[in-house]
Amino acid sequence: MTTVSRRQFCIGGIALAAAAPLAMSLPAAAQQLKGGTLRVAVLSELANYDPQQLSTVNFHVIKNLYDSLIEYTPEGKPEPSLATEWTIAPDKTSVSVKLRDGVAFHSGTPFKADSVLATLQKGADPKRGKNVFSTMSIVKDWSAPDDRTVVINFKAPVPERQILDLLQFLIPIEAKGIDTVETVPAGTGPFTLVSRAVGQGLRLKANPNYWREKQPIVQDLVFTVFSEDAAASAALESGAVDIIYNGSSRSAARLKSAGYQVFSGPGKLVQVFRINSTRGPFRNKSYRQAFNHLMDRAGILRVGYAGMGEVVAQPWAPASPAFDASYTKAYAYDLDKAKALLAASGLSAAEMKDWKMLVNGSDEASVQISQIVQASLGKVGIPIELDIRQGAEFVSALLGGDFAAVFGAVGNVQKFPSRVTTNSIYRTSQNPILKDPHPHPTYVAAIAKVDGASGGAAEVKASYDNLNKVLVEEAFAIPTNSYEVGLIVASDKVAGVTLEIDNLFVARTIGFK
Amino acid sequence: MAARRDAMSAMLGSTLQVLRRLSARRSTSLSFAFLLLVALAAVFADVLPLDPLTQNLADSLMPPSSSAWFGTDELGRDILARVVYGARTSLVTAFGAVVIAALIGVPIGLVAGFFGDWRDSVLMRCIDVLLALPNILFAMALIAVLGRSQAAALVAVGIAGIPNFARIARAQVMALRQLDFVTAVRSFGGGSSYIMFRTILPNALSPLVVQAIVLASIAILLEAALAFLGVGVPPPTPSWGEMLRTGKSYLHEAPTYAVLPGLVLTLTILSFDTIGRALTALLDRHDTGVPERRGR
Repeated sequence: MTTVSRRQFCIGGIALAAAAPLAMSLPAAAQQLKGGTLRVAVLSELANYDPQQLSTVNFHVIKNLYDSLIEYTPEGKPEPSLATEWTIAPDKTSVSVKLRDGVAFHSGTPFKADSVLATLQKGADPKRGKNVFSTMSIVKDWSAPDDRTVVINFKAPVPERQILDLLQFLIPIEAKGIDTVETVPAGTGPFTLVSRAVGQGLRLKANPNYWREKQPIVQDLVFTVFSEDAAASAALESGAVDIIYNGSSRSAARLKSAGYQVFSGPGKLVQVFRINSTRGPFRNKSYRQAFNHLMDRAGILRVGYAGMGEVVAQPWAPASPAFDASYTKAYAYDLDKAKALLAASGLSAAEMKDWKMLVNGSDEASVQISQIVQASLGKVGIPIELDIRQGAEFVSALLGGDFAAVFGAVGNVQKFPSRVTTNSIYRTSQNPILKDPHPHPTYVAAIAKVDGASGGAAEVKASYDNLNKVLVEEAFAIPTNSYEVGLIVASDKVAGVTLEIDNLFVARTIGFK
Repeated sequence: MAARRDAMSAMLGSTLQVLRRLSARRSTSLSFAFLLLVALAAVFADVLPLDPLTQNLADSLMPPSSSAWFGTDELGRDILARVVYGARTSLVTAFGAVVIAALIGVPIGLVAGFFGDWRDSVLMRCIDVLLALPNILFAMALIAVLGRSQAAALVAVGIAGIPNFARIARAQVMALRQLDFVTAVRSFGGGSSYIMFRTILPNALSPLVVQAIVLASIAILLEAALAFLGVGVPPPTPSWGEMLRTGKSYLHEAPTYAVLPGLVLTLTILSFDTIGRALTALLDRHDTGVPERRGR
């Protein structure tokens, strides 16, 4: 039997006590994580493998099959990825990008400037550019002086943050695979596709030629599609999966209290009460402004999103440079203020209630928060009915502008503020709800001012302040709260989770303790 | 006039006899009692101190307590109040659906069975087409056209019940139309409509009453299923199916939210079913005076 002397015990104890804080202070990625098979539950079926289709249903695969030119830290600081450096011209009308050497696509083809040019070409095509297309509106043309350099020219001087957003949005696709990218992945990412069973799941394996050192950590990545949030939670609790990606806030809150790890990234969505200001009583500005005070934002956040998020009166996540917390206090839930504005509208009681609230019946949170607003409206003497529609019928009404008012989330709220115009209700032209000419020219001018503010910090801040002021005055969209998308709930044996700026799922740094 | 009074009193007497025999079974009397309780709650919900609509977000998902016997839902509304008012939704839908199904289905069955010939073929092929469509799918399609409302749910469930009434009525007419009492009425100059509705129908009522009870339970279940699928009565109107749909998301935090409305729904359907089965058994054993008149 081995015995330990008192002296040995004391020395060992001191050594352990000294080492423990050091070990705890190491970042998860730096710890010795083990490989294996990472099993991930997702709640939506993949649409396709096109990285320019940045829909939430594709969020779990994009950053695992592809790399972007640059990446943002969770705090919004740009970092090199496939672009090793970038130089913005002093007049801010072009950017020169140096591409990484020694990178290959999954097919084995070396990564060069031709693939970036092909990607830019696709993004600028209105039929193929998908979510990237609107971001390309600032781009005039592009060229490749050599295999490792790409120069992008802009139509006018562009704010630096907007240029960085463009580079972060550009995910190079192999040139020869660009026409078939929806069905065959063509990226440089840390994992390669093994198989896919539509409606059931997806299996990826580690890319043996990946350019980032010691990544990915796990050898296999298996996604299983669950149709029910509760079933995914049960799978995690029973040990059938290691991670749930993009589950509901309510389940995440419950699992967190049960001891599971919950990771929420900066890429939140903002819930917005969208108002069709071309219809009925909503043509009246004072009537619309009353809705700034009719939103029980705290109740909406608690009931609809398990309290995970923040109440906001502007369409920005806290990470946005235009975020201003003072608006949340100034435009808080206040029925007396709402009543005063309703009285000032001069509308009769019959005119005020002459509309229905469109509701997404497929989204439980939307049904709940719409009932909260319905109750608030009842308290100020506006009894309205809910027009609940399901699936495609709802989407068609939402995007086609066939509604008086409806809740709908907006994205891109943590980036350059004018990116908010990628959401239909905030479009400055060809707005499917408000139509052309835009009924709120002060808003269109405020967005133009933000886009044109390429000077000093004071000019930029003034443009953001002006936009915030115009948004609450015009009141055609009433934000209520930010909420989580792409939530990651993990068992305690998993570590190394990387938070991505858009909350895409990044598996390359994840391993087992 | 006296003959009609005699017929009425005979029918009342046989009905009371049936009820007495049904009540003799403990399961049936319990079912009657439960359904009576549900019906009374639905009818007198307005006079009870219950409010199914007022929200109290600060008290959401509370467990059962003395102030809220069934607890509260995610919007802080009293679940008991919503169950009671939900009974009104379910029973109105069931009653309306049975009336629609009977008013359309029975005449179709009577005409088809009485005349036979091409009318029988055409009507029954139409009924076959209706039967071939799954009830829930048909109801959802109809609601998609009519819009989401209690009236739409009621009509959808009612139309789905037409084939059952039509086929039972047709079978009854085919069995009765050759019997002596029908021949006698015809020999006295009774027209087709008179014979169908005044002579045959009263003698074919028993299986149709059983069918009405069975359809009532199916209608309640179908209405709940539609609400569960999100196409039933729109909120905030209380509905048992809607409560089940929402409550299932809170099974961990507030199990009573889904369980208690689900229990009431189950017991209601079970009660209808128990009474329907007991009634069928009684009629099959020729325990009433009605079958004798049918000449068996």
